[in-house]
Amino acid sequence: MDIPAMRANFAKAAAAGDEAPLWFYSHLFLSHPETRQLFPVSMAHQRDRLFAALGEVVARVDDLDSLVPILQQLGRDHRKFGTVAAHYPAVGASLLATLEHFDEEWNPALAADWTAAYGLVAEVMVAAADEAAGDPPWWGAEVVAHDRRTPDIAVLTVRPEAPLPYVPGQSLSLETDLRPRLWRYYSPANAPRDDGSIELHVQARDGGPVSSALVRLAGVGDLLRLGPPLGSLALDEGSDRDLLLVAGGTGLAPLKALVDQVARQGPQRRVDLFVGARTEERLYDRPALERLAREHPWLTVTLAVSDDKLSALEQGDVADVVVRSGPWRSRDVRIAGPAAMVEDTTARLVASGVAPDRILGEAFAASRPSPDVDGGVTE
Amino acid sequence: MSAHETAPQSAERRLTPADVSAVRFDRGSMLSPGYDLQQVDRFLNRVGHELMRSTQEKAELRDRVQELQRQLGEVGTPEPPSDQAVRILASAQLTADNYVAEAEEFSRQITSDARTQYEEQLKQARESAGAIIHAAHEAAARMAREGGPRETDGASVEELQQQVAYLEAFGRAVRTQLRSYLEALITDVESEWGKADPGALPARPVAVPAQRSVEHEPNVVADVTALPVPSVDAGPGGEDR
Repeated sequence: MDIPAMRANFAKAAAAGDEAPLWFYSHLFLSHPETRQLFPVSMAHQRDRLFAALGEVVARVDDLDSLVPILQQLGRDHRKFGTVAAHYPAVGASLLATLEHFDEEWNPALAADWTAAYGLVAEVMVAAADEAAGDPPWWGAEVVAHDRRTPDIAVLTVRPEAPLPYVPGQSLSLETDLRPRLWRYYSPANAPRDDGSIELHVQARDGGPVSSALVRLAGVGDLLRLGPPLGSLALDEGSDRDLLLVAGGTGLAPLKALVDQVARQGPQRRVDLFVGARTEERLYDRPALERLAREHPWLTVTLAVSDDKLSALEQGDVADVVVRSGPWRSRDVRIAGPAAMVEDTTARLVASGVAPDRILGEAFAASRPSPDVDGGVTE
Repeated sequence: MSAHETAPQSAERRLTPADVSAVRFDRGSMLSPGYDLQQVDRFLNRVGHELMRSTQEKAELRDRVQELQRQLGEVGTPEPPSDQAVRILASAQLTADNYVAEAEEFSRQITSDARTQYEEQLKQARESAGAIIHAAHEAAARMAREGGPRETDGASVEELQQQVAYLEAFGRAVRTQLRSYLEALITDVESEWGKADPGALPARPVAVPAQRSVEHEPNVVADVTALPVPSVDAGPGGEDR
C-alpha cells in the first residue's frame, strides 16, 4: 500500500471542503436509496463529522495500535444508527467514487490501495459490531416521569425495557421520535437502581431541536432510544480520597450520580458538592440536593448564584466560590458544566495546588452529538 | 375537529395520526362530568380497528418486501449514478440544510428573546416587590417603636399587612403569567418546525378536508398576547409599572 500517495489523494478531496462529503453522500443516496433514512433531514453536521473521522483514519493509517480501538468503538457505536454489514460495501463504493471525482490523477493503483484499506477498516468495524451483538444496539426506554422545573429545564425519569449497565459519571446517547435520527448525550443523575430507572436532566438550548423537544414536547409514556454508555467522569476505583464535585447547570447530573454511588456503594468519604447557576430560580434540583445533604453527614452541598443580587446564597461564579472554600489539595475532583466554567474551574484549582491528574472535567456543550473519533462526547 | 365529525359512517376513510391528535370531545353534562362517554367509546373503537388493520397490513407488506428482496437479489448491481444526478441531489440537500438551519436560527432567536424578556420582567417584579415589602416592614417597625398602631401616611398596620400579602400574591401571579406566556410562545415555535423525518413522509400528499385546515392554524401567539397582564389598579398599593 502506497500510503503517501493515498494521503496526497485524500488531501485533494479534503481541500474541496464541504463539497467532497456533499458529493459522497449524494452519491451514496442515489446508489443506495435505502441508506438515506439512516440520517437526519439536515446533513450539515453529518458532513463535517464524516471527513473529520476519515481524516483521523488516514492520519493514523500507519499506527494500527491506535487506529484499531478507534475503529472498533466506531463499529460498535454505529449499531444504534441501524448500520448493518450490508451498508459497508455501499459506503466503500461511494467513498472511492468521491476520491476519484476530486483527483485528476486518479489511477488504478490508488483504486486498488483504497479498496484494500477500506476493506480492512470495514472488516474491523463489522467484527467489533458483531462481537457486541450480545448487547442490544440500543435500549428502548419509556418516560415514566417528566418534571418541568423551570421554563427551560426538565428532569425526566426513564425506564429502559432491558437492563442497561453503566457506571455513574458516564453518558448515554439518546434519540426521540420527536426528532428522528438526532442523537444527543445525556448523563444519568443516579447510580444504577434496582428497577433500572434513570434520571436525566435536560436543559432546552435556544434553537436546540432535541433538547427543546425533550423539555417542552416530551411527556410520560413517550418512548426514547438510549445508546450504549460512554464517558469519562467515573470515579477512580483505586482511590478512596475525599471528593470535590463542581457543577454548572445540568452538569449537575453526572455529579449527582457520583454522590448516589458513594451513598450506595462507598467507600465512605467526605464529598463537597458545589452547584452554580445564574439565578436562584435556575437551581432546578435544590430540594433534592438539600435532602441529600440532610440525609448524609459526609455530604456538604454549597449552592452559588452569579447573577442574583437578592439571593441569600453564596454569590459569585462557582469557581470563585470553590476556590474561596479551599484548599482542596487532598481531593479527587470532578467538574461538569458549560465549557468555560469547566476550563475556568480546572485552571483555578490547578493554580491553587490541586494535582491536574486528579481532576476530570466534562463540558456540557450546547449540542453534544455523536462521539468524535476518539470516543470523546464533547466538542 | 370534533368527535362527531370524525366518527361518521364513512367506513372507507382511514383514521390518520392527524385525526387522533386533533380529536376533541364534547364536555359531558353536569351529572356526568368529563368527556362525553359515548363519543370517547366510539372513537376508541375506531382506533382499535385501525390498529388491527395496520397490523394486518404490516404483516402482508413484510411478506411482500421479502418477496421483492428475493427478486432483487437475482438482478445485478445497479449502474453508478451520473455526475449530473449527484450534483442535482447535492444541491437539493444543500437547500434543505439551509432551510433547517434557518428554522433553527429563527427558533433560537424567538426563544432567546422570549426568555430575556421573561427574566427581565421577573427581575423587575421581584425587585419592586422586595423594595415595597422592605418599606412595609420598616414602617411596621417604626410604628412598633412609637408604641401601638397609629396612622402613618394614611395607612394602618392592618392595611400595610394587606398590602404586603397582596404584593406577595402579585409577585406570584406575575411569575405564573410570564411563565405561561413564555411556554406558549416556545411551544408554538416548536410545533412549527423540526418534526421532519424523511422516513415519515407519506408516499403522496394526503388530501386534507378544508374545514380542518382552519382549525389547524396555530393560534398560540395570538392567544397569549391576549393574556391578561397583571394590572396595577387591580388592588391597593400598585406602583407605576
